[in-house]
Amino acid sequence: MNLYAGKILKVDLTHGTVTAEPLPGKWIRRYWGCWGLAVRLYTDLADPVVDPMAPENPLVIMTGPFCGTAVPLASRFCMVSKSPYTGTIFETNCGGAFGPELKYAGYDGLVITGASQRLVTLTIADGDVRLEDASDLAGKGIFETEAALKARPGLAEAKVLAIGPAGENRVGYACIGSEAYRQMGRAGGGALFGSKNLKAVVCRGTGGVAVADMPAFLAKVDHYKKTDLLTEDNLWAKTDGTPILVDVTNEMGIHPTRNFTHGVNEGKDAINSDAIKRNKVADRACASCPLGCGNYTRIKDAAVEGPEYETLCLAGSNCGMNDLEAVIRFNRLCDDLGLDTISAGNTIALAMDLTESGIHDYNLRFGEPDQYLQVLSEIAHLSTDRGRQLARGAWETAAAHGALDRVAASKKLEFPAYEPRGNYGMGVAYATSERGACHLRAFTIFSETPFDVEAMVRHVIADQNKNAIKWSMCFCDFWGTVSPEIMADLLTAGLGEPVTAEELTAAGERIWNLIRLFNVKAGFGSDQDTLPPKIFREPLKGGPHAGRVFSQEDFAKARALYYELRGWDENGMPTDEKLAQLELTRL
Amino acid sequence: MTAQLLAVPERCTGCMRCATVCSALKEGMFRPSRARLHVVNFPLEGFSAPGICFHCPKADCEKACPEKAISRDEHGAVVVDRSLCNGCGDCVAACPYGMIVLDDEAKAFKCDLCGGDPACVKECEFGALLYGKPEGDLLKARGLQMKQRMPGEMAPEEKRRNLAVNLMKALRSDG
Repeated sequence: MNLYAGKILKVDLTHGTVTAEPLPGKWIRRYWGCWGLAVRLYTDLADPVVDPMAPENPLVIMTGPFCGTAVPLASRFCMVSKSPYTGTIFETNCGGAFGPELKYAGYDGLVITGASQRLVTLTIADGDVRLEDASDLAGKGIFETEAALKARPGLAEAKVLAIGPAGENRVGYACIGSEAYRQMGRAGGGALFGSKNLKAVVCRGTGGVAVADMPAFLAKVDHYKKTDLLTEDNLWAKTDGTPILVDVTNEMGIHPTRNFTHGVNEGKDAINSDAIKRNKVADRACASCPLGCGNYTRIKDAAVEGPEYETLCLAGSNCGMNDLEAVIRFNRLCDDLGLDTISAGNTIALAMDLTESGIHDYNLRFGEPDQYLQVLSEIAHLSTDRGRQLARGAWETAAAHGALDRVAASKKLEFPAYEPRGNYGMGVAYATSERGACHLRAFTIFSETPFDVEAMVRHVIADQNKNAIKWSMCFCDFWGTVSPEIMADLLTAGLGEPVTAEELTAAGERIWNLIRLFNVKAGFGSDQDTLPPKIFREPLKGGPHAGRVFSQEDFAKARALYYELRGWDENGMPTDEKLAQLELTRL
Repeated sequence: MTAQLLAVPERCTGCMRCATVCSALKEGMFRPSRARLHVVNFPLEGFSAPGICFHCPKADCEKACPEKAISRDEHGAVVVDRSLCNGCGDCVAACPYGMIVLDDEAKAFKCDLCGGDPACVKECEFGALLYGKPEGDLLKARGLQMKQRMPGEMAPEEKRRNLAVNLMKALRSDG
């Protein structure tokens, strides 16, 4: 089969069985791969009201059609399931080299159901697939787990997905790590592995990915790489990587600082891209990427690939931590323990705010690194009272102290590092994302009209539809200029049959609506498509947008317009007309 | 001295484009495990080393071949004549770097420098693979890499990994 491996591996952890099944052909040209195909497979299997932590909640891990080929920035893979953190359907994706390895082993994806009685690993070595006891890895960090698995015979070149103690202990914002510093980060994928007693998936593949006409395909890849990818719009990723956003967002006044109270961090020069460059040891890249945005940095004995922008801001500025060495240590600890740095940074910043305002003493203070580093292990191991509380995340912690006015989260998922009071589009993006506050569904920070409600709503919808198909092709965000036309041309050359940009664009909207159908059935509606009280009521401090809020009235207008333009009713349910247009049926 | 394929591990990001494109051109599919060069990645340490054939001046594989199937072409590349290969595997054991192996039909295959225009070099955006006359630091880098000779009984994959481990230790103070 061209571009696809043509098989899905079904893993039943309750019965300890694995079977390879054909990729469902009827869905390929409607959902394509990665996010889209995973959503289609997941919604076919899962009851929308399922308890996320129950054995009945499946996990679907998927690659996409370009994964494993020379198409650049196309090696990502994703997981779709119902989140134990938000209660919504969610998608979380990851770079590195696991996705291509799975394709080379002969599988487009994995469907994992049930739960094991004992801690196990799933080992895939081409056609040899086994579930093995992992009691020797219990409690181990992700780094040690990966090293132990790769030390087994024949697996030196394998790629690993693994959880650390946070995932085993089912911390709500536990991540799944891969290749040390890459994660399926947000909304609790690690807790889902933990709920199934699945410590790791280790994969070695020695097969290949075929295309219809290799010389023609390579010529197209080279053409788009040179004329579109390696151009000014995208080269920031090569020269700087995501730390460039520290200066950019500060200049815009949308840089979350000190638990989302300020829009600028006066001390940002300690953690910006120039600071990263001073401490950089090497450039790093995911499989297939000629940009290499990863910065391997080291200060004294602390080293990490990163920190990326989200970590620099949310574990840096937002915790008042203008100390790159401390942020590097924080990043490395989270990656090893298996904690999402965005949720961890937000939760600790909230605890600092609660401590300093006298609401509750968590012994955490802005800018003080010792306890900020110490508490991570307490969270991952649930080993202290404050660790157990903060393991529940920022929303639940604020709620426990009657302090929801201090939290920055939508659908209980903490905000990423862009202040919505300084850019209303990001507020609409956070409120309408399927998994809670997210910057990877729509990204409006470069808009010229950040307070024009209608323009922002239109921008968000266009981004959501486009990204739904871009993530379904397993592309990285950072090929910012990749278009449905480029994707269609590459698919046409790879598959050997015509694909149009129009059908891909339609698929993007179809995927977004199918996700919505699931969330509505899971009990989500307009009440949850919202922003927390501080965004509506508490004026932002500092910078060009000092004094601004995103008022509840403006937000209500934005949400109503969003539903109308989406073809949804006033509670956010897709209408019959919209579903008929997209050839979708209700779940 | 003719042009040589040269590797600079400190510049390698581990993206694997070289091996991915190499396999596409030589095998007709994207299959890095069958590429003519191999990148060994150490993600935790942020280090990668491209494993390349050095086309050694006195090539051990060439000397080991009982069928004279291995020779040097006009570009200085050490190449295999598949029609003469008897699949004995003596070359595989003889190469200290793990850069010649047998395919599914038990015929030896290796890097041929793409007829003097190696595709892997054109694919590398970070200058970790170069094609030219080794001078100065590049000559030293080639010397350090060629010094890491692995014993014959070791499997090719293991030779390449151990070589890369040695390079990381030599090039990284925290290796």
